Amino acid sequence: MIRVEGLSKVFRRPRTFSGPFGTVRTLFTRQYEEKLAVDDVSFEIDEGEIVGYLGPNGAGKSTTIKMLTGILTPTGGSIEVNGLVPWRERTANARNVGVVFGQRSQLWWDLPLIESLRLVGALYDVRHFDKALSKVREILGLDGFLDTPVRQLSLGQRMRGDLAAAVLYEPPLLYLDEPTVGLDVLAKEAVREFIVETNRSGRTTVMLTTHDLADVEALCKRIILIDHGKVLFDGAIDALVNQPRRLVVELESGTRTYDIHDDLPGMVATIAAEHTIRDLSIVEPDLESVIKGIYAR
Amino acid sequence: MLQYRMNSVIGILTGAVWQGTGFAFIWVVMHTFPSLAGWGLAEIAFLYGLRLTAHGVAMIPLMALHNIEFLVREGEFDRYLLRPLNPLVQVLGNRLGLAQVGDLLVGVALLVVAGQSTGIEWGPWPLIVCVVAIVSGALIEGAFFLALCSLSLRLLDTYALRSFVDEAFSTFGSYPLKIFGSVVEWLLTYVLPVAFVAYVPASVVLGKLDGTWALAGPVLGVILMALGYQVWRGQLKHYQSVGS
Repeated sequence: MIRVEGLSKVFRRPRTFSGPFGTVRTLFTRQYEEKLAVDDVSFEIDEGEIVGYLGPNGAGKSTTIKMLTGILTPTGGSIEVNGLVPWRERTANARNVGVVFGQRSQLWWDLPLIESLRLVGALYDVRHFDKALSKVREILGLDGFLDTPVRQLSLGQRMRGDLAAAVLYEPPLLYLDEPTVGLDVLAKEAVREFIVETNRSGRTTVMLTTHDLADVEALCKRIILIDHGKVLFDGAIDALVNQPRRLVVELESGTRTYDIHDDLPGMVATIAAEHTIRDLSIVEPDLESVIKGIYAR
Repeated sequence: MLQYRMNSVIGILTGAVWQGTGFAFIWVVMHTFPSLAGWGLAEIAFLYGLRLTAHGVAMIPLMALHNIEFLVREGEFDRYLLRPLNPLVQVLGNRLGLAQVGDLLVGVALLVVAGQSTGIEWGPWPLIVCVVAIVSGALIEGAFFLALCSLSLRLLDTYALRSFVDEAFSTFGSYPLKIFGSVVEWLLTYVLPVAFVAYVPASVVLGKLDGTWALAGPVLGVILMALGYQVWRGQLKHYQSVGS
């Protein structure tokens, strides 16, 4: 579905100078600062997968998505999405993908939601609009606010509207860039359910970026982790989190941690024989601490 | 856009009044000097009308490009690139140039009035030359405007450059170029081809220049517009989007 090879993107801007006459020097400079936002990234995503594309702020996630959607032209490397090169065949590619940017609505600000959806229907040549609409309005619960102008929608409603617009023409591929950002617990839950449902019923491939690891745990089997534009990890979450549980024991001399292998009662007994235990707890391996560990490296 | 009727009417009127005052200035000058470089008032009015009509035809559809920096800066342009429709069409679809409808009206009025007082023998041939000149003049001016606006995809702010070229077209394009001296005339013919918008075709219609010159405008217009669109496409590849 998606094949990315050796992808890189360099942003170039004139060097800025400080100090006396700095502005003037900036104006005339031929020197450029180059920022390597995406650096030799390669991965493949198969049809029907939900892949979490994760990384700290400024890691290059959005830049990658923008190249995948054809907004940006790569500096190097190649991209193939559904057999198309996005930046070269942008309009053809646009018909195959649905995009939701959590930070920025794709809807028409002044129009009622229903009109925005009609426009999307017209733009993408949706033949049976009413049928397509009735499909999404139920899962997303759009009924209460279809006639409200988009600018008056709450964030949760707007996000549902955006999701509806992105799947109305049944694209085989969805890019979701922080689709749950700023949403409350219930709205997040609704968005996640919707993603799972779309993926299951339509075999829709989903590429998801998010900072909410609960999203990832609920949705993705596989994650790709990037930082400073490079891929740090690409594989199943299970493999990443596959570490022993740990026993944390508070002793009079301080706190100690042990990896738990099999005989937990035996371990506790051994420790208790030598020390006085004040408190103890068991720590399950979790995605957050693993990822924190990777970012911190 | 026409939802805001009052705003539309005022916009059109402003355009008309603005251009009207521009022409009133020539009127005053011509009262003092009956002829400029061999051109009488009616002839200059005809030239002025030709250039203004071409300007209106070019800018009514293209005016929305003025907003391009804003669209880029606000990240709005990203949306256009995500949809299965040429982004240029989407930008232009935002709005029409209403003040330029005023330009067009004044331009056509000038053409009609001045055309009758210049002593041109109106038949199919001068009419064809005029219509072709309006279209090709619009293509020439539009091509420069499109190319300069596309630079905003990369440089963001190109307002100064744009208004400079716009001024060149409106200030120099509306008068017989001869009055500015030979250097300026040469520059505005071969470097920034303002001459071919109205000066050359008006000269042909008024019998001051050989008829074959009427061909130069359309050829140049088509070539320049094709080049302008290539500049747009080239700049689109360098589009850097915004953060987040």
